[in-house]
Amino acid sequence: MLELAIGIILGCCALGAGVAMIAGIGPGIGEGNAVAKALEAIGRQPECRGTVTTTMLMGCVVAETTGLYALVIAILLIFVAPGRFVKILLENVK
Amino acid sequence: MAVFDKIDPAVRRETGYIALCTLILSAVMEAVFLIAGRWGLPVLLGNILGAAAAVLNFLLMGLTVQKAVDREEAEAKASMKLSQSVRMVMLFAVAAAGVGLSIFNGIAVIVPLFFPRVAVAVQPHTPWGDRQDGGDGD
Repeated sequence: MLELAIGIILGCCALGAGVAMIAGIGPGIGEGNAVAKALEAIGRQPECRGTVTTTMLMGCVVAETTGLYALVIAILLIFVAPGRFVKILLENVK
Repeated sequence: MAVFDKIDPAVRRETGYIALCTLILSAVMEAVFLIAGRWGLPVLLGNILGAAAAVLNFLLMGLTVQKAVDREEAEAKASMKLSQSVRMVMLFAVAAAGVGLSIFNGIAVIVPLFFPRVAVAVQPHTPWGDRQDGGDGD
């Protein structure tokens, strides 16, 4: 029974990490759209290339942070959470 | 340096700004660890790893953006998506190494990954935020 409980904990942590990484798709789509719109802007006003590039870079950093949050949660669920949860389980069993 | 000459001036300037902010924030983080009495070699090594990954991530993103603006729209979108995926894998490897290996402090590796976001947030209040010309002289 204890093995099953540990297995469920490990499985749920791995599943949670995988689900969290779905958020990693968003920044890629967002950055792609930002670049596409920036290309339109540069096409209309080529003299604004530097300004548009700078603004887009900063926007991409903001978009990328969402993916980083997901990454950190996934890392914690893979490396930290299983040990903690199993420890809590074993303490309660005793 | 021929390699640096190929980098767009806007990308170079912003990467420099991000690197400077990361350096300052890293020093602040080290000071916080020191004050909390938890400073050690793993914290320093973790900070170096995390900060290097954060700046490299920004530089690679800048280089992708620089190449993407010279391409067609669909091609640029695809290259940004591919770049983001590859960089995410790189950051995952760095964060996993930081948390998994005992020579690094996990917190000291993960926290610097968010320093570029902080740098962007404070940019309007710095001399870099005043420049609106893009700095490429064209």
